[in-house]
Amino acid sequence: MEREAVTSQPVTEMSTDEALVSAARAGDRPAFGLLYDRYARMVHGILLCRVPPRDVDDLVQEVFLLALRQLRSLRDVSRFGAWLSTITRNRANDFYRKTNPADRATDPVAEEQAENRTNDHAVEQEAAMTLAVLRTLPETYRESLTLRLVEGLTGPEIAARLGLTHGSVRVNLHRGMQMLREKLAEKAEGAGRKAGKRL
Amino acid sequence: MSERKKDAVMKDDYLWDGLGEPDPEVQKLENLLGRYRHDPPALRRWRFPAFRFSFQLAAVAAVLLIGVATFVVFRAMQGKNSGPTWEIARIAGTPRVGWHSLSASVATAKLKVGQTLVTDNSSRASITLEETGRVEVEPSSRLRVVASRPGHERLSLERGTIHATIWAPPGEFVVDTPSAVAVDLGCVYTLHVDDSGAGLLRTTMGWVSFKLNGHESFIPAGAVCATRPKIGPGTPYFEDAFPSFREALAKFDFAKVTRQERHALLETLLTDARKQDALTLWHLLSRVSDAERPAVYDRLATLAPPPKDATREGIMRLDAKTLDSWWNSLGYGDVYLWHMYERTWSER
Repeated sequence: MEREAVTSQPVTEMSTDEALVSAARAGDRPAFGLLYDRYARMVHGILLCRVPPRDVDDLVQEVFLLALRQLRSLRDVSRFGAWLSTITRNRANDFYRKTNPADRATDPVAEEQAENRTNDHAVEQEAAMTLAVLRTLPETYRESLTLRLVEGLTGPEIAARLGLTHGSVRVNLHRGMQMLREKLAEKAEGAGRKAGKRL
Repeated sequence: MSERKKDAVMKDDYLWDGLGEPDPEVQKLENLLGRYRHDPPALRRWRFPAFRFSFQLAAVAAVLLIGVATFVVFRAMQGKNSGPTWEIARIAGTPRVGWHSLSASVATAKLKVGQTLVTDNSSRASITLEETGRVEVEPSSRLRVVASRPGHERLSLERGTIHATIWAPPGEFVVDTPSAVAVDLGCVYTLHVDDSGAGLLRTTMGWVSFKLNGHESFIPAGAVCATRPKIGPGTPYFEDAFPSFREALAKFDFAKVTRQERHALLETLLTDARKQDALTLWHLLSRVSDAERPAVYDRLATLAPPPKDATREGIMRLDAKTLDSWWNSLGYGDVYLWHMYERTWSER
């Protein structure tokens, strides 16, 4: 039986980012698919810090399409994560510059999720409020904290994806968490005071 | 290392990599926020477009395209007439929508675009929209739904009082009043409009922007802002400010006064301002005359020293970046978010 000639190393789940990026730049689509699997949560988390939740999934796809088109402009393949996170932040900023939210079609997937979520309305409300508070933190803190608390990435994973040092991510998480605690406590106190006034 | 410090480090370890002793607070937040996690359904997985050309595929694509275009046009036409509907729930008395009254036996109804909810002096009601928030309507109020579509809810409070708890993304919930427009930036607030059309907005949590004809106030939690017909929003202030400060501010914003009286009022405002009244003084920077601005700058700089890039010269010519920089240093929230959501709202 004849075997096809192997011209390059096949990409696998275990390949390094550099190998995947190089392969994707050479037109290897499965390699880009693996990069998507590896970085989708990071992109999702960065967007969630900045745009309404229901628009995030569509923007994740857009960001990866943009990245695919611009992949050849990436000079240092080891900086893929940092490069992709910059594209993501820019896309989030463009979202507010260019999009008129009133004209956006409703996402049926999000609608279905919202439908399911309303089954537990109080928890959903608390989650929405908590996310809203998280989104008021300074950018560096809210990004790291969203990736940790929402997307479930660990500190070392966040550092690797965003191209940051462990030290700075640790500081961002620690200070961000402290600030989030304070803000949530303030909100709870404010709500309690309001409830007390009404009684 | 003390036990307390060791405990904090171990808990930080959990925050760091999910290992070590679990921190219950972090775990609770993980559970709560985990619902927003990226979990792509099968259809959302990354798929590459097929580039191989085929006539059958092209024909199918053309049919699909026509179908989608028809659907989009139909949806757009439909969207003008329908949208999410607010659910009314009676709390007390007999709130009314048109000729229809809510009572103990029929305690719920829908509030559609163009309809007005009216409460008399003994009625109260709430309106709720699952994706947006809940608004309690106090007695003697008139509240109309101006627009309701995904991503944009607009009510008009013609008179009375509402308490709004909004969980929609900032900028999506707007309330018109006869003398200003309140744009929610993620918060809980109370809005009152009297029979003359004058209003008062009190923010409990988060921020609200109150504006009319380019005259704008930004009201963080704990602050209030009055508004008057034909004038628009006044200067926001914290309610625990000195009474002399509040009285002077009300006259400075809305009363017809002579130049000397205005000078005296500004003098009182600057003298009686406390550190936390930086909120008010920052707003005054762009509301006073060129001749008055140096005095406001000096007092604000004493109470809340400006960052290095907020130069006196930049403030004197009301440079937006310089004003933003000083605002950011006051600790009321990042102005970037304010502008970002403001832009979203303004484009509608």
